[in-house]
Amino acid sequence: MSNAIMNPTPTDWNGQIMQKRIARRYAAERRFKAMGFLAVALSTLFLAFLLFTMLGQGLRGFQRTEIAVDFDFPALTSGTTAASISGPNADAALNSMDVPGIVELAISQQYGEISEGLLTAGAAGNVRQMLIDDTALVTGKQQLWLPVDSRLDVAFKRAGEPAAEQTVSTLAQKDALRTGFNWTFLTGADATDPSAVGIWAAFKGSLMTMAITLMLAFPVGVLAALYLEEYATKNKLTDMIEVSINNLAAVPSIIFGLLGLAVFLTLFGMPRSSALVGGLTLALMTMPVIVIAGRNAVKSVPPSIREAALGIGASPVQVVFHHVLPLALPGILTGTIIGMARALGETAPLLMIGMRAFIPAAPQGFTDATTALPVQIYLWSDEVNQGFVEKTSAAIIVLLIFLLGMNALAIYLRNRFETRW
Amino acid sequence: MTGTALLFLVLGLGLIGWIAGRARAATFVRSAKNGPRGTVNSLPYYHGWFVAICAIAPALVFMFIWQSISPSLVTNMVLSAPAAADLPQEGFARAAILSEARAIAQGFQTAAFQDESEKLVPLYASALSYYKWIGVAATLLLLFAGGAYAFTRIKPDFRARSKVERVVMFGLLVASLIAILTTLGIFASLIFESWRFFSMVSPFEFLFGTEWNPKSVVTPGAENGYGAIPLFWGTIFIGAVIAMIVAIPLGLMSAIFLTQYASATVRKWMKPILEILAGVPTVVYGYFAALTVAPAVRDFAVLLGVSNAASDNALAAGIVMGVMIIPLVSSMSDDSIAAVPNAMRDGSLAMGATKSETIKQVLLPAALPGVVGGVLLAVSRAIGETMIVVMAAGYTANLTANPFATITTVTVQIVALLTGDQDFGSPHTLAAFALGLALFVTTFFLNYVALRVVKKYREAYE
Repeated sequence: MSNAIMNPTPTDWNGQIMQKRIARRYAAERRFKAMGFLAVALSTLFLAFLLFTMLGQGLRGFQRTEIAVDFDFPALTSGTTAASISGPNADAALNSMDVPGIVELAISQQYGEISEGLLTAGAAGNVRQMLIDDTALVTGKQQLWLPVDSRLDVAFKRAGEPAAEQTVSTLAQKDALRTGFNWTFLTGADATDPSAVGIWAAFKGSLMTMAITLMLAFPVGVLAALYLEEYATKNKLTDMIEVSINNLAAVPSIIFGLLGLAVFLTLFGMPRSSALVGGLTLALMTMPVIVIAGRNAVKSVPPSIREAALGIGASPVQVVFHHVLPLALPGILTGTIIGMARALGETAPLLMIGMRAFIPAAPQGFTDATTALPVQIYLWSDEVNQGFVEKTSAAIIVLLIFLLGMNALAIYLRNRFETRW
Repeated sequence: MTGTALLFLVLGLGLIGWIAGRARAATFVRSAKNGPRGTVNSLPYYHGWFVAICAIAPALVFMFIWQSISPSLVTNMVLSAPAAADLPQEGFARAAILSEARAIAQGFQTAAFQDESEKLVPLYASALSYYKWIGVAATLLLLFAGGAYAFTRIKPDFRARSKVERVVMFGLLVASLIAILTTLGIFASLIFESWRFFSMVSPFEFLFGTEWNPKSVVTPGAENGYGAIPLFWGTIFIGAVIAMIVAIPLGLMSAIFLTQYASATVRKWMKPILEILAGVPTVVYGYFAALTVAPAVRDFAVLLGVSNAASDNALAAGIVMGVMIIPLVSSMSDDSIAAVPNAMRDGSLAMGATKSETIKQVLLPAALPGVVGGVLLAVSRAIGETMIVVMAAGYTANLTANPFATITTVTVQIVALLTGDQDFGSPHTLAAFALGLALFVTTFFLNYVALRVVKKYREAYE
């Protein structure tokens, strides 16, 4: 080094060594950039792969395979008239008609020995509903399309068990099968037969849980954010509140489930697996998210607004509730929606408080036993029956659509109402 | 009258109080002679709020207290009746009969399984209605007394605003205290139930035992299969090793590419797409891991010649968990790289260093504390994650470093222990709380350290 200073010979930038070195450094630069690109591409590809897998499997879940069944109602029901199954006594009349028996008879007459186990368990209910919707059906010969058993459903859509495959090919030759939209999936509840399941019960449970969560977490979160940003003096208590909130925001969700189990269920004796307890548990989890988002929104309101209001004689409470809160509201709402979206997808705490029971009907009240959409997905994913695979993916599609919608709403709100001061 | 109906009645009467108070105060304003408002201290609606608060608040507090003490009053009344004298004295059977009788009397249950509870049903029904009507009467009495008191206080010079604002401030403080209350609730319930657990199973076995095979009946002083070391190892192996091997390079390199190389348009589109990864519910990841990734990993292992690869292997769960964590690592790295002063970067570039040399030798070392903080937060997220491991990793405890084997974690075992139809006091249930406590303490510690590191580092450049 000292030698170079004494005899300064200029670096030969165009020499071979230097050119090689530069080429090497540029190659390293390109490699590094390519690695960065690869990282982003891999993450995106994974997401795309996940979504495509769910879509590919899930779309089939919205379809069902139906079989044509001929009903000779006058013969089967020994001449029941349309009038007798309408009006106030319709229920009793339908009950005495023995719809399941009629369905069994009709299908065994038409398909003979393969008729055993062709139809799904809920098929008789479908026929009953058709008769209620159109009582005139009962007076004549009808061809009705009824959902088939899940084994055949799987075999018709893709490869299934050999026995079911054979039945399906026999039926397909007779042109007795078709694919229809699975309304039951959107309106029904959990069932043991995958071709009869629906997500409405779980979805309603999720909505009720979310309603409780929103009603509790939003006011508490906003008030706490206002207190911490606007009024709290720097002291031990405030420090403790801040540490608590930051910590709660990072506590694993399963811990909230344990809290719900120990406090709400065991200590307070609240009804197990109800939307009320689920909502309370998720509210405790969502509240810190709202507080943190709310504090940032309140912080971004410029002090000049507060000073102006104080200057014309508003009290500190009036300053906050008349001026700061309305200006901070879009930001608070954005944070709330994001927190609610997280709560909607949350499964583990709900499992802890027992929302994993088999619930074959939609809940009627906040204290009824219910399940939630993500929990339903978990429960179906555990089923051995092949027919549940597509139902699980279909339920995931519904859940993702809702989450995406909520996040899009949050982004829209942010862009629409965000004020740059 | 049910609790909900009473609640709505109370709120409705409060609204009437609000209207009445406001109307009365408005007459002062209208009849004021000197000036537009005269000497009226507060706006009319503050008077309204004053009346409403005075009416509702005591009634609601009473309702809440009554809700918690009336069950024991009802039970006492039933037990003091002569028909209850021949109940079994033994605690558990007695409680079962009582709770069944109560459930039937309240209409939750229709038929009794025990004959004794059948006899108690009418007793319970009468006691319930007796105390219910006392509660309703006292609530309404308090409501009217409070409302009337407030109504008589309304005068032109009454400082309704400052009174109402004091209540508002109190409400704000209470809302903030709920966070502390929740933290305390978590702490208290975890510690209390863990203490009950450790009075059955020795803490030494729990913390240092290597065999996890929990028995539902424990014998004190013997090995009961509650050695949690395999669970701790599994949690660390999946959450802190495999997931981080995926998440750190991908997250860090994504952050570097998006902040340093990508054009504004690419950044604008790619950042939200990465964020979607964080927004996908964990149950979806779990399903994906179990259905698609795990079989692929097993096939890959077979290809490599690993014969005993399990279908619920640790690698699949770890990889998917790592992908879930990418956005967290990425955004934390992003923040800390952005916080490095531009002068450092410009200086390095001016010396002739290429972009990648600047990043590797100037930006990253300067941003390291922030990145490390982000990684700690990511680890705490990963070890507390439940659904992915519940669905994709297994239930068998295994003390192995083979990523193709089945490995279980703390969260999986919490779920497994709590999902049987167990009595709340059983060692299985309590063990779940002990595991929860271990998890809570670990994540608390990690978060605390991470936030300290990040904060300290931010201050260094401010």
